[in-house]
Order: sequence, then structure tokens, then C-alpha cells
Amino acid sequence: MIKFKHIRSRIAFTFLTVVVAIQLAGLIPLKYALVKHANALAEEQINVGERVFVSLLQHNTQSLKQATQVLAADFAFREAIATNDAGTIESALESYQGRIHAQIAYYISNNDDLVIGTTDNEQTLFGSNAKEDARQALLENQSGTLKFDIVEGKPYQLITVPVKAPETIGWIVMGFAVDGRLASQIKQLTHLDVTFVQKTRQRDWQLVSGTSTSQLSNLLVKTVADIYRQKLSLHRVDLNGQAYHLKIRSLHETKDDALLVVLQGSVEPFTQDLNTLFKVMIVLTFIGVLIFAVLIWYVSRKTTEPIAALVKDADNIAIGDYEKEIQVDSTDEVGHLAKALNSMREAVLQRSLRIQRLAFNDELTGLSNRLAFNQGVHQAIMTHADSQQKMSVILINIHRFKPINQTLGRDFGDDLLRHVGQVLKQNVLGEQDMVARLDADEFAVLLQHTDQAKATRYADKIQQVFERPVSVQGQAIDVRTGIGIALYPDHGLDEESLLNHAETALQESRAKKSPWIVYNTALEIDQSETLTLISDLKEAIQHDQLLLYIQPKIDVTTRRALGGEALIRWVHPEKGMIFPDQFIPFAEQTGVISDITNWMLLRACQVLAGFKKQGLHITLAVNLSTRDLNNMELPEQIGHLLSSHGLDAKALKLEITEGSLMQDPERAEVVVKKLAAMGLHLSIDDFGTGYSSLAYLRQLPVQELKIDRSFVMFMDKNSSDASIVKSTIDLAHNMGLIVVAEGIENEVVLNQLARLGCNEGQGYFIGKPMPEKDFSIWLERWEGQNEIDIDIGDELSYAINPLDIDPQAQDPFKLDNLG
Amino acid sequence: MKRFLIMLAVVCLSRWSDAAEVKIMVTDAAGKPVAEAVVALYDGKTTVLPAGAGGKIVQKNKMFNPRVTIVQTGTRINFPNEDTVRHHVYSFSPAKKFELKLYSGVPTDPVLFDQAGVVTLGCNIHDSMVGYIYIVDTPFFAKTDDNGKAVLKLNDGQYSYQAWLPGQTKPAAEQKLKIEGATEIKIALP
Repeated sequence: MIKFKHIRSRIAFTFLTVVVAIQLAGLIPLKYALVKHANALAEEQINVGERVFVSLLQHNTQSLKQATQVLAADFAFREAIATNDAGTIESALESYQGRIHAQIAYYISNNDDLVIGTTDNEQTLFGSNAKEDARQALLENQSGTLKFDIVEGKPYQLITVPVKAPETIGWIVMGFAVDGRLASQIKQLTHLDVTFVQKTRQRDWQLVSGTSTSQLSNLLVKTVADIYRQKLSLHRVDLNGQAYHLKIRSLHETKDDALLVVLQGSVEPFTQDLNTLFKVMIVLTFIGVLIFAVLIWYVSRKTTEPIAALVKDADNIAIGDYEKEIQVDSTDEVGHLAKALNSMREAVLQRSLRIQRLAFNDELTGLSNRLAFNQGVHQAIMTHADSQQKMSVILINIHRFKPINQTLGRDFGDDLLRHVGQVLKQNVLGEQDMVARLDADEFAVLLQHTDQAKATRYADKIQQVFERPVSVQGQAIDVRTGIGIALYPDHGLDEESLLNHAETALQESRAKKSPWIVYNTALEIDQSETLTLISDLKEAIQHDQLLLYIQPKIDVTTRRALGGEALIRWVHPEKGMIFPDQFIPFAEQTGVISDITNWMLLRACQVLAGFKKQGLHITLAVNLSTRDLNNMELPEQIGHLLSSHGLDAKALKLEITEGSLMQDPERAEVVVKKLAAMGLHLSIDDFGTGYSSLAYLRQLPVQELKIDRSFVMFMDKNSSDASIVKSTIDLAHNMGLIVVAEGIENEVVLNQLARLGCNEGQGYFIGKPMPEKDFSIWLERWEGQNEIDIDIGDELSYAINPLDIDPQAQDPFKLDNLG
Repeated sequence: MKRFLIMLAVVCLSRWSDAAEVKIMVTDAAGKPVAEAVVALYDGKTTVLPAGAGGKIVQKNKMFNPRVTIVQTGTRINFPNEDTVRHHVYSFSPAKKFELKLYSGVPTDPVLFDQAGVVTLGCNIHDSMVGYIYIVDTPFFAKTDDNGKAVLKLNDGQYSYQAWLPGQTKPAAEQKLKIEGATEIKIALP
């Protein structure tokens, strides 16, 4: 089976094969029939020719006979005969012979054997039987038979007529030569070539005369000789590729002599006509096949064209072009196929749109997601690259979203997020501006063609909106936001750097509690330097560049000093004081945190041991990181430290964040339980910022809960903060936990906390983090003054943020100054 | 015929005393009687025909009537034409060559047949007309009737005879014959 690239080729091939086969099936028998017909025609022609020939001879004979009879009836001639006037008879014969174009003329007397003729050798002609021959010839003549004879080696047709006076007294014999004249006369009437062939005693077969070419004549003589000899009845000869039908007729035959006439009809003229006909048929067939081929090509093309179009459409769908609808013009199978393709395309399009929506949309708020936002920024950058205009990327974060989510429920949190999204969206400036939700409580806004002034105006507007309590699910809630702004092209040329810088600004906004921060390179410095810091950090541990700071902690009710939280400070030889925020996260990531923890624990134990010598029984709290909680050897190490410093387990408190517990809860639980079993005091740090549930925390052997400073700091001004703090305290107490409040910045808050039953507190109002030796002084003063409002900040000016410090100003914590 | 019979009777009467009636029967080779055959007998003595003796052959209905006429040498025969058409009577026979060019009615002169032999008569106009005149130089001759029979009154004695048929170019050879009283002769033609 032949393989076709196109259906139309298959159709065309099949039909053309059939057509050609049919034509051939017709042409071959036709050719055969035509040849047969040509032969039949030739044969018929020769048969007709023969009949014409015979009747021609008879007619000839009759007319010659009549002409001869005229002589025989002539009275004068008869008188000459009666008077035996030989001379007169001969001359009469001679003149009459000339008149009727006979070659031979004789008179044979009936009474005696007198023969008078125009040739001399009568005896050889007729012999002694001349009279009988003549009588016989007469009888034959009457019956219409023809008499031929060979006279002196030449063939003649002999006409014998009686001379009557009134009885037959003799005969006149007239001889007409069988020659070319006769042959061409016959040919004229029969349209056949005529050849006379004879044989005499003296000579074998020879040509007498004929109308055909000498070549054919010679062949005929030979053929006739063979036929005669072998008594064959061959009726056909071939010469030079031409077929001739033959009709052989004997005119005269004796023992020694024979005269034959051969009529020849060539098949050629008939086959010529028929061949022409056949050629015309072939040409017509060819033209027919050609027309048919064109028609087939056209029809099959018309049929397969829509299929080819569909193939192209399907290819378009395959490469992801779903937009173009497939045209359906026909109602046939192709139309159905096109419809099916169309609905498939539609379905694929819908599905891909859904996938796109899922990929680029935030399901909760209906806003774009991070991916879509990135792309949006990317595209905006492209359009802004040409125009010299600026654009802004603004990141907005909701403060304390997690406790809100926790206390008021996830549904409430979701509604709040939706509301914030709506607010952000309602306040954008242009249609092309974009609002997205990047993370849980982090939103991003892209403001196109917006400079810094416009961007800050937008931030202010958002800030203003959220100054009033937001009503969600019929409940009024205060929403505070941090906003970080980065501008293109000032702060970044690609979406990644723009978003990172906006994030940096947002962090700054959160840290500084400022409504919004526009990114500047100063923010960036620390970040960019963190990497080098990490390598420096290891050195710092070895070369004792780290300092232990202590932030005091008091009993909220009695205001007695209880101890403090051990904090770390790094005095970098070149960069000066570095706060933990700047290196602890990286230390955690790189694992250096373990060394730091070990250092902290050692230093805390040393400090505690020092105070113990002085007779002061205070406690110090040390922060543990995630890695520490996963270190199964930690309890043993701590135990070793405590015993080597002669300390009671109660002196050391360990603060754990919710997040650190959640990393590997099972391992953490094991470590925590071991520590608790050793009698160590465990505290949950920054409560309210993580996702851990109280129910989970209840299972752990913790004794203390520290409320994050963000709830405490403004609780005197914000009622909802206060209520969160209150409910947290109540909850903790219900669970039998000690509650510690962070971020107490004034006495109002301290008193408020006391009223709420909070157990312990720390904050700037009580004391900022301070070096170990300063802590002793603070302790003395705090204990000595007891209830006296001490402004520690006046005497010990500790910077809380390196950015707040004038770099040129004398830093009291530079190593030189600390000396 | 009547005239002929009278003439025959005259001939017979002249020698009636010793004459006997001889019956002659002519047949062909197959024994079939032949009509209009001519039989002539010779006794060796020539009898001269009376001068002025003659006869006629009438042309009627484009036929010579009678077809066969037997006369003695020296007889004159006239050829009266009783047809409405004209005839051209001729003879190329060696015994008498003559020609009566186109005529109607009775020719003025009869034709003299003075030489024994057969004269074949023809008409140059009508090829089908054939007549025969047998000229014999003996008084004893007869023509057979339809039954091939003829009767002659002959004296006894030695005779020779000849028999002819119309169309025969030459008479059969003479045969010897002896007559004694009334007898019957049978002649078979070859």
C-alpha cells in the first residue's frame, strides 16, 4: 500500500487508477475489435472485388462476343467464307481485330479443317482439335464460362463466335491479351490490386502483369507457386509489415499450363482509418483523464482544504493560541469536527484562564498575588523605562495581625484582610495602579507615574483611613499599618530590588513605628554588610568583642527588682556598636547562634555567680534560638554550667519564642521537658506574634509568658491593646502561668498592668538594657530609692537604634570609651 | 405437296407395269424414326427431267415452307414471299450459290438448280430461317414422314441409295441395295 501525505492525493490516485483502468479495459478490446474489423473489411472488400471481377470478365466477354458476332453476321464476310476466299477472310479478320482491339483473330471452318488467322502458327495454337475446341468454347461461352488460354506463351481470353449461313459453317475466334490493361481495368472497378501469374510447359511460374509494385508481385509469384504446389489455401501475405488479403482464382488450367489471377487487398487502408480512430480515442481518453484529474484534484482539494485549515487551527491551539475562534462554515462532518475543536478550544481557554487566575490571584481578597505583582512591576518598569517618569512600589503591613487573627478568629482576620485590600484599592490613583496581597498581612501597591510626593500622599491617606477604627463583622477594630516605599528608578531598576528595598523600608517603618518610610541607601548599608558581619562574628566570639547587657525586670506590684534579661551587644572594631537585630537572624541561619548561646549562658552564669558572691540572688533570662531547642545536648551543657558556677537552677531563666518551638515541635518538646525537669524556669517570649495556640503551650512545662511590647507600649492610649493584654493575662493566669510585660515606657502603663494583675515587667521606664557593671549601680539605686521615679536615661544614655546615633557623636559604647 | 405427289405419280406411272411398292424406314443411330430425312436411290441409269419442270418454296411466317425440299437436277424453284415483311434469300452452298435481294411477293425468275448437292437456304434478314433443298440426279427419292417412313414404287433390280438429314453437311455414304418386289428397307443414320 502506497502512503500518501494528503488525503486528496489518495482520492486522486484511487479514482485516476480506476478511470485509467476503465479506459484501458475499453481501449484494449476496442483495439482488438478494430483490427478484427479492419481484416473483415479487407476480406469483404476482396470478396466483393472477386465478384466484381467475375462479373466484369463476363461483361467483357459478352461485349467482345457481341462485337465478334457482328463480324460473324456480316453478309459479305460470310460470302467470302462461302466462296473460300482466304485472302478476303484474313483481311476482314485483321481489320475487325483492330477495330475491337483483339490481339488474335481466327476463322475455323466447319466443313474442313481450314483455319485462317492473323498469326502464322495456327497449328501450335489449336492443333488438330481446333474445330472441337471451337465447338466446345462455343458451348462454354453460351453458359457464360470464360475461356482463357495461353497462346505462344502469352495468356489470352478467347471469344469464339459461330459463323452461320444460316447453319454454322465455321467459327471466329478473337483473343484478348491478359495484360496490364485488363489488370488496371479490374483495379479501377474493384480497387484491388490484380496480378496475373502463369505457368507454361516451358517456364515455371512467372508474372504476366499486375498493378502492384514489383516487390509485392515477385512475392506473390513465389507465394502462388508454393500455394499451387502444396495445394494450400493461403489467403494472406505480409510484406514490409503490411498485411494483404489474397484471392486466387484459376482462369485456365491444363496439365502443363495454368493461368491464375491474384486479387490483393491491403488491410492497411482500413487499419489506417481505424488506427486514426484509435489514436483519436487515445487522445480523447487522455484528455478525459486529464479533465478528470483536474476535477478530482479540485474536488478533493475542496474536501480536504477545511481539514487542513482545522489542522492549522489545532496547531494554533497546541502552541497556546486559544483566542482565535475557529470559523465553522459547513454543516458536514468537517463542520462537526470544527465545532468539536471549537468547544475543546473554549474549554482549554477557560481552564487556562482559571489556572492563570489561580496562579496570579489571591483567592482570599481577589487581589493579585505576589507573582502577578512581580510581573506587573516588571511590565510597568518597561513602560517607565522609556518615559522619564517615576513610579512607586509601596508595601503595607498590618501590625499585630496575628493576635487579631488568633483572638477574633480566622474569619474575622480574613474579612479584615479583604477590607484592607478594598481600602488600598479604593485609594489608588490611576487605573493602571495595582494592589496585591503578598503574604498573610502584607500588601503591595504599585502606583504608576508617581513620584515620591504623590507616593507619600497616598501613604498618608491610607494612614488617615486607618486612624479611625475599622468596622468588621460589626466590630470596631484599630488597624495600624507599616508602610515602606521604594521608587523607580531611584531605588531600583528591577522589580526584585524595588520590592526588596520597599521591604527594607517597611521593616524600618515597623521598627521605628513611623507611619511610612521611603527607602534610602542608609537603610541598605547594614543589610549589605551583614554578610561580612557573619564572618566577623565568629572572630568576635573568640576575641571577646561581645558584651553582655542586662535589661532590668521588676515585680509589677511590689516594684522590687527581680533580675533582668541578658542581652547581647557586639562592639565591632570598625563599625562600633551592633545590635542583635542585625546579626542574630544571620547567626541563626548560619548556626553561629549556638556559639552565641553558649557564650551568653557562660557569661550569664559568670554574672550570676558574681552577684551571688555579693549576696544578691537575682535571676537572669537568656534567649534560646530554634537551633538551641533542637540541640539535645543543651540540657546537659546547661547543667554542667550551673554546677560549675555553683548556681541554683532557679537563677537561670530560659526564654523561648513561639516560632522556635514550632520549627521541630517534637524535638523541641523533648529538650524543653528535659530543661524543665532540671528545674529551669522556662518563658514564652514575644507572646502574641506567633501562631502557637495556648492549648499547645499548655502541654509544655513553661512557667512564664511574656507579652510582646507592641501590645503593651500603647495600651494606655489604645483600648483594644489593653483588652488584648488583659485577656492574655487572664488566660495565662488561668493556665497557671506568670505573666511578664515588655515595653513598659511610662508609669501609667506600669500601674495599668499592676491593676490587671500582671506579675512582672520590663521596659525603658524601668531600665534600658545596660552593661553588667551598670546593672549593679541600677540595682542599688532601684532598690535604694524604691518607688522613686528614676530617669536612668539621663545618666546612662543608651541608644536603642544605631541609626538614631549621630555617627560623628561620641559613642559611649565604643570599646575605647568603655575601657 | 399435292404437286409433288402428282409428279411422283407421273414418275411411277411411267413404269407402273413392273413397279413394286417399297417401304422405307429411317431411324437414327438409336433406332428412333427420323422425320424429314431424305432418301435417294440410284439405278445407274440417268433419267432426264422433263424441261420446264419446277417447284416453289414459300416463305411464310418467317419460315421456308417446306423446310426440306427434294428436287431432281435441272429443276427451277421459285421463292414466293407470302409474309408481309421482305426477305433476302441466299445460299452459299457450293451446289447453288444465289441471292434474292430484299423482295416481297413472287420473284420474277425462279432459280435453276442444275447441280446435285445440298443447298442450305438462309435469309440475311432473319437468321432463324433455315431451309434445305436436296438436288438429286435420280427420279427415285423420298422424304420421311413424321413416323420416319417413306414409300417408293421401284422396279426390281440393283440400286444404291443415299440418306440425308437436314443439318448434315455431307450425305452418308452410298449403300448398295437389291429390290425384288414390294419390300421394306430400313435405313439407320449414323
